[in-house]
Amino acid sequence: MPVVTPALAAIIFVAGAVSGGFGALLGIGGGVLLVPFLNLGLHLPFTVAAAISLTTVIATSSSVSAARAGKQLINMRLGMLLEVATAAGSLFGGVTAQMIAQSTVQKVFGVVTALVAIIMLTRLQRRNVILDPDVDPGALGGRYHEEESGCTVTYQVKRLPLALAASFVAGNMSSLLGIGGGFIKVPVLNAWCGIPVRAAAATSAFMIGVTATAGAVIYYGNGQLVPALAASAVLGVQLGSWGGMRFGQRASAMWLKLLMAVVLFVVSAVMFTRGIQ
Amino acid sequence: MSWLERTIGAVLRAGVIASSLALAVGLLLQFMHAPGAQLLLHAGILTLLATPVARVVVSIVGYIHERDWTFSTLTAIVLLELLASAVAALVFKKHL
Repeated sequence: MPVVTPALAAIIFVAGAVSGGFGALLGIGGGVLLVPFLNLGLHLPFTVAAAISLTTVIATSSSVSAARAGKQLINMRLGMLLEVATAAGSLFGGVTAQMIAQSTVQKVFGVVTALVAIIMLTRLQRRNVILDPDVDPGALGGRYHEEESGCTVTYQVKRLPLALAASFVAGNMSSLLGIGGGFIKVPVLNAWCGIPVRAAAATSAFMIGVTATAGAVIYYGNGQLVPALAASAVLGVQLGSWGGMRFGQRASAMWLKLLMAVVLFVVSAVMFTRGIQ
Repeated sequence: MSWLERTIGAVLRAGVIASSLALAVGLLLQFMHAPGAQLLLHAGILTLLATPVARVVVSIVGYIHERDWTFSTLTAIVLLELLASAVAALVFKKHL
């Protein structure tokens, strides 16, 4: 276990703020940046890094969803249905993390980050689907008011088994790698299940608190969650995501995504190389 | 806004504020070598972990109140999965 010094806590606080800021700007969790920094930069064991990152995922999910509750952007019914699959995936991933070698997890992390980067590049110019406001949302669909366009968006949920499968995989990756898993669910929900991207992102952010808790509990019970380091990261990420949301109005999303994709390819390559050494 | 949405918002907000405060004060005490630091840090972590669990419990209550048996069952399954991961943690601890 690492020795907790004020310097280490300060470094992790700053790392949390930076990854939380980028996460808020790009609509992805900061975990995908925080975990490699903690594991490769600070040489913390992968399980310790993942445990710290999961606590920041829970904090972000709770604070973002608290602010959004009741604004209809979060599809709570869909979220709670998909949570059945993410929590199961997360439980499975958390147990797996206790049994496999660090080098294997690093290889998986390398592959997954490369996939995130590719998804990010293919969605540089995402289009908003034009939806018929008179459509019946059905038992799981939703309806929300979009501030920019001033219209009401109504959608139905299609291909539910696919959404459940993607949620299971996202939950699995979440607790194994210490990330939120939104980058797996959001594109699937948006591209194939008929859910507008903003509703998909808000619903995913709502769900990842439960997903990350199922994983974090396993690390905590095994003594792999260092409270003082988790505290530094959680406080840093809270500050960073607050700042990111302020700054996010002005920054060009396309350039940020390009920059982020490049950073992720580098992270992926470094993590994968470390895994095969 | 429905009762459920309002309550979920309140639970999440209270959880974030309480855990962040405990973690911040705990961290300060730790570096001042003051007593009670570890206790506060663990309390902060446990509050953080308990927040989504509390949100699930509130949802079960809300759906039962609405007599929505499908969603009462689904959210109860999520709660059982969270309990299962706590059990998994204890099982593993014994073997390590």
